[in-house]
Amino acid sequence: MRLALAIASIVALTVHGFVFYDQFFHKWERHQTAYFDQARSRATSEAEKAELADRSPKIEQIMVTQFGETRVDRCVTCHAAIDDPRFKDYSQPLKVHTYSAAMGDRMVGGKWERRHKFSDFGCTVCHDGQGRGLENFYSHGEDPFWPEPLLGFVAQKEWREEFKKKLISKDYMEAACAQCHTQENFAGTPNLNKGRQLFFAKNCYGCHKIEGLSDGTLGPELTEVGKKWKLDYLWESIVDPRANLATSFMPKFTLTDDEVKSLVIFLKSRHGLNFNETSLERYRAHLGVAKLDSSAEVKPVTGDLKVIGAQLAKDRACAACHKIGEVDGGIAPDLSFEGLMKDEKWIGDHFRNPRIVTPDSIMPAFRFTAHDFDAMTAYLANLKTPPKLESPEATYKALCLRCHGEKGNGAGPVSTYLDPYPRDLTKSGFFNSKPKERFLKSIKEGVPGTSMPSWAKVMSEAQIAGVFDYVQTTFIKDARRDLKDRKVPEKNPVASSAESIAHGETVYLARCTGCHGRKADGKGPNALDILPRPRNLRNSFFVNTADDKRLMESILYGVQGSAMPPWIDIGLSQNDAGDILNYIRSLNPRR
Amino acid sequence: MTVIERVKQLPSDVWTSIFRNPLPHTDHGRAATSFTNFFLHLHPVKVNRNTLRPMYTMGLGLISLFLFLILTVSGILLMFYYVPSTTQAYDRMLDLRGSVAFGTFLRNMHRWAAHAMVAAVALHMARVFLTGAYKKPREFNWVVGMILFLLTLFSSFTGYLLPWDQLAFWAITVGTAIAGYAPVIGKEMKFVLLGDATVGQEALLRFYVLHVAVLPAIVTLMVMIHFWRIRKDGGLSRPPEAEAAITQPDSISVQVVAGAKPNGGSYGLMGFVRGPFTKTGNVPDNSVFSWPNLFLAELFVFVLTVAGILVVAHFFGAPLEEPVNIMHPPNPAKAPWYFLGLQELVSYSAFWGGVGIPGIEVLILLLVPYIDRSPRGVGVWFAKERILANSLFMLFAVVNVILMIIGTFFRGPNWSFVSPW
Repeated sequence: MRLALAIASIVALTVHGFVFYDQFFHKWERHQTAYFDQARSRATSEAEKAELADRSPKIEQIMVTQFGETRVDRCVTCHAAIDDPRFKDYSQPLKVHTYSAAMGDRMVGGKWERRHKFSDFGCTVCHDGQGRGLENFYSHGEDPFWPEPLLGFVAQKEWREEFKKKLISKDYMEAACAQCHTQENFAGTPNLNKGRQLFFAKNCYGCHKIEGLSDGTLGPELTEVGKKWKLDYLWESIVDPRANLATSFMPKFTLTDDEVKSLVIFLKSRHGLNFNETSLERYRAHLGVAKLDSSAEVKPVTGDLKVIGAQLAKDRACAACHKIGEVDGGIAPDLSFEGLMKDEKWIGDHFRNPRIVTPDSIMPAFRFTAHDFDAMTAYLANLKTPPKLESPEATYKALCLRCHGEKGNGAGPVSTYLDPYPRDLTKSGFFNSKPKERFLKSIKEGVPGTSMPSWAKVMSEAQIAGVFDYVQTTFIKDARRDLKDRKVPEKNPVASSAESIAHGETVYLARCTGCHGRKADGKGPNALDILPRPRNLRNSFFVNTADDKRLMESILYGVQGSAMPPWIDIGLSQNDAGDILNYIRSLNPRR
Repeated sequence: MTVIERVKQLPSDVWTSIFRNPLPHTDHGRAATSFTNFFLHLHPVKVNRNTLRPMYTMGLGLISLFLFLILTVSGILLMFYYVPSTTQAYDRMLDLRGSVAFGTFLRNMHRWAAHAMVAAVALHMARVFLTGAYKKPREFNWVVGMILFLLTLFSSFTGYLLPWDQLAFWAITVGTAIAGYAPVIGKEMKFVLLGDATVGQEALLRFYVLHVAVLPAIVTLMVMIHFWRIRKDGGLSRPPEAEAAITQPDSISVQVVAGAKPNGGSYGLMGFVRGPFTKTGNVPDNSVFSWPNLFLAELFVFVLTVAGILVVAHFFGAPLEEPVNIMHPPNPAKAPWYFLGLQELVSYSAFWGGVGIPGIEVLILLLVPYIDRSPRGVGVWFAKERILANSLFMLFAVVNVILMIIGTFFRGPNWSFVSPW
């Protein structure tokens, strides 16, 4: 036991040795000693030499009280030569901080004078990092737990490998500049200004709220986004929205790396209340945004509504998502000849609340003034120049491909943002079980409640037939067969009554919820595994325009080419189907 | 005596005035050493050999005590730097890590000693149970021990909040939410604990006061009672075989019958002593002098504990995560490891997992000496006579440890099952 005791004692002593070593031999002492030595060798006067010889290493700090909570910046403990112009050519940490006229530094009598004095500003106000730390790992913010690593200098280990390089750049410091230099188009922050412009140009403002700038409600609020997240997260959220939230429906915008960077810098600058603002000013700004709307209403801009609308559509970046003429946002439907497809009322209603006419649309309901809506409606309703269409193939490519896809499988470039998805044109089972007239009708009149518009005024009768034939031969491929004779009543055989609806609901809950969901919104537990997706039975525009015969047929005989089975084969009678139909109709009252 | 001789004499006079006894060489001296020193007289002069068997006690009770001492010392030193304020606490942590002399090391020691103490106290409890040491006359000391265990958990829990980082904030949010599920008083209890609806400045202050003043005081008191009762109950538990047969007849013990008043109505001091008198003379027994046997063993455990904590504190840093961000809970937010078993249960049922089952467990543990009243099987690990009790206890312990392991390693975002590999 005595031997064990001796060993344990030695271990305890040894660890004490390590601890004391750690405590008394700091890296920062070496940096300071090196600075003293170098400065002494460059000193000109004896007094200065003597003074340097007297100094011994100690923790140096700058207390900054003007900028938010009191900051304690001990960076100067290592960066000892930060204000010593003789150390211009040294490497960090013994390098002088650059003097720059652009930053407001001035040459006075052969000596630089800083605009941002370290004694006033400290270091972390501009650079971020952890002022209290004395080891690189902590003070530079390499520690993954530290929320503010040195802006544009440190990429934390956890950050995604492919972004790391892009996040190292002086430009990111502009986000810190903007905490005081809040004025728009401040010359010192070109990237941030570009980011702010992109925020509007790419229509981010439509979904995201930034207090004082925008009030979208569809996406997360970004007022304090720069305080909450690191550069890596911001970059990732822009280029890969679903990486952080699997259910996000934020579109993937086509942005260059430079544009993403500008946006990240802009977002990083959003700290909520910045140094330059009091909460009272913020409140005033908040009220100001609301006023902007009402005052515009009082004083409508006079002139041709169409022209004003065109300008507005440009300013408000409709083409960030939509296609208008040559500009294609790649997310939302083509508006180039909207006036041929929709009437003024539809466009106006849709503007005020898109989900009134297309229940599952992701388009934000913008809070513009009535006048602005009217102007933009007038502009869109007057886009009446039909495209030049030569062959059926060219027609398909010009008009259909954007949604239905190059291969006709319904996976066009914008299809992921549409609900319901565009029809998969390769499912011959579906197409060959329905009469051709129905498809021609869908093309001509569109499918209400979905993104399929009416093409009757865009294409001639012959062109429509031509496109369908092209689809038939290119995608459906199987030749049309004679339709089977199905016994489907023209009208619902069961009269709608409370009793019928109740029975319909019972059967619906037992049989249909797996796919169509308990709320009948097409989002049942199986819905995600099924393509085409189950129909949203609360989409009144669709349900109310589909006649009894079509819906009865779908229930009784199923929908070929989809997961909807023929229920007549699995125990439903015609009367059951009638009850279900009455139930579905009861969910979609006619207005 | 000349002046010079007197001056020469002075150092040894000072020495003997402090330490009354010279290093002992005789049994009488050994007894006197134990007797005349304040710290040593807390111990008996002689202890049973069984008490000194390392594999019997494994020193777990002592380890717990020494950890408590380490925590007290390091904790007091930390108190010089800490401010229980939501705006300053985290900055103080950064200062401790960055610029306070030995700050990191102190914090590491305090952190790991706290975790180790929870484990040591729990293991000590297991030792006492598995050796049947809670049996008569030590029933109540088991209850005191249980209270100490709960106090240890609560001390550790209250300390968890003080760094005011994300780990602390959300662990306490989860922990107090569990307390809120208690029936009838749950909501009120949570409110009294937090002083607010959520964890904030009030909670930080309350936890701080509990952690540095209230709980240590109660623990100290309970530890004193715990030790005092050990001596009054005749030292540590041991099997009957460990007692040497007393050759003296029983007549040496004087039973004072209540009501009988010798010497005209007053008792001699010894009249209150129950059981056989302390043996005097050279009666053959199975005990050895505390000096040096017991004290050396205690010193050994102390040095071992300190060495262990020092090594761990040197190589492993105490975690310090992001500053508190109320808007951004980590996913999953986990309680401290010793409560992860509870959190795992809570994920199945808030009331039963958080209050029902642990409440019943604590109640049964408290009542163990009064439920298991058979006097047999004391002083032996896994005694055959106690197979049922020991099996039940082992089952309880293993289930709890498994739940903790699942909670710690196998739970990911949204408390879904993840593989740690």
